[in-house]
Amino acid sequence: MKAGLEIRRTTIIAVATLAAATMLNPLEAAALDADAARALARQSNCFKCHAIDKKKDGPAWKEVARKFKGKPDAEAKLTKHITSGAKVKLEDGTEDEHPIVKSKDAAAIRNLVDWILSL
Amino acid sequence: MDESPVKQSLVGRLRDFFFRPSSLSLIAVVAIGMVSGLVFWGGFNTGMEATNSLAFCVSCHEMRDTVFQEYKETIHYKNRSGVRAICSDCHVPRDWGHKFVRKVQASQELYVKFVTGAIDTPEKFESKRMELAQHVWQTMKESDSRECRNCHSWEAMDPKKQHPRGRNKMAQGQKEGKTCIDCHKGVAHLLPKEFKEDEEE
Repeated sequence: MKAGLEIRRTTIIAVATLAAATMLNPLEAAALDADAARALARQSNCFKCHAIDKKKDGPAWKEVARKFKGKPDAEAKLTKHITSGAKVKLEDGTEDEHPIVKSKDAAAIRNLVDWILSL
Repeated sequence: MDESPVKQSLVGRLRDFFFRPSSLSLIAVVAIGMVSGLVFWGGFNTGMEATNSLAFCVSCHEMRDTVFQEYKETIHYKNRSGVRAICSDCHVPRDWGHKFVRKVQASQELYVKFVTGAIDTPEKFESKRMELAQHVWQTMKESDSRECRNCHSWEAMDPKKQHPRGRNKMAQGQKEGKTCIDCHKGVAHLLPKEFKEDEEE
């Protein structure tokens, strides 16, 4: 009887801890897949103009992550940026459409966006 | 005297066939030679051309279930102008000499298909994708992207019609003496997972 109560108490604590951890860290519900994000970035030719830490023709992604840090609409804005062909200004002053990411899978695009924001 | 016919050996008969002057007229010999030549050459070339068709390439599941599916999503398969580049346009040289050499090399691919089975499942194909891609990239680099240039050329390119970003990159590539495949990898297929771009970090 006493052993049964002990098991029930342990189960309740474990479930409560797991629930709290999930609520505290929403990213845990959909963990980032950095390898998949990089693969999609390569396939979409992102690295032709961007690098993670270094400024190329486009800004470094760490810089992008810094710029959007703490902004609630960061994910929506960045998603639009890489899926809509929005105008961007190039170094020489000319304007061009930002290329569209080569995937129609919303989850894969979200993974890429979240990965960039996590840098 | 009774002469019994002497039975000739096979070698003897062959020697006579090829080297003994014929009783046929010169015109008949030349005409037979020309017709046989045409039939032989036509048949050989038609057979070789048949192995250049898209249908032939995807008749093997190794190609049909992997690279063909990826290629169908790319601009080389379907585009606004309706011009299609099929497998052989990029992977088989057009001029006869190089094409013949490539076809002989393809016998190795038949060996893999029918004997080793090294890429006969999608998993096995994935594990070999980098190696396979590197072979193709190396070949394209060595030929100065000859097969790309069957359709694309600097002369026919109008930079004014390119996006500014692409225009800048193309001008830079031309100045640096780069060849198409240096920058345009994974154009018609997925890039291998082990592949890394220059300066990702």
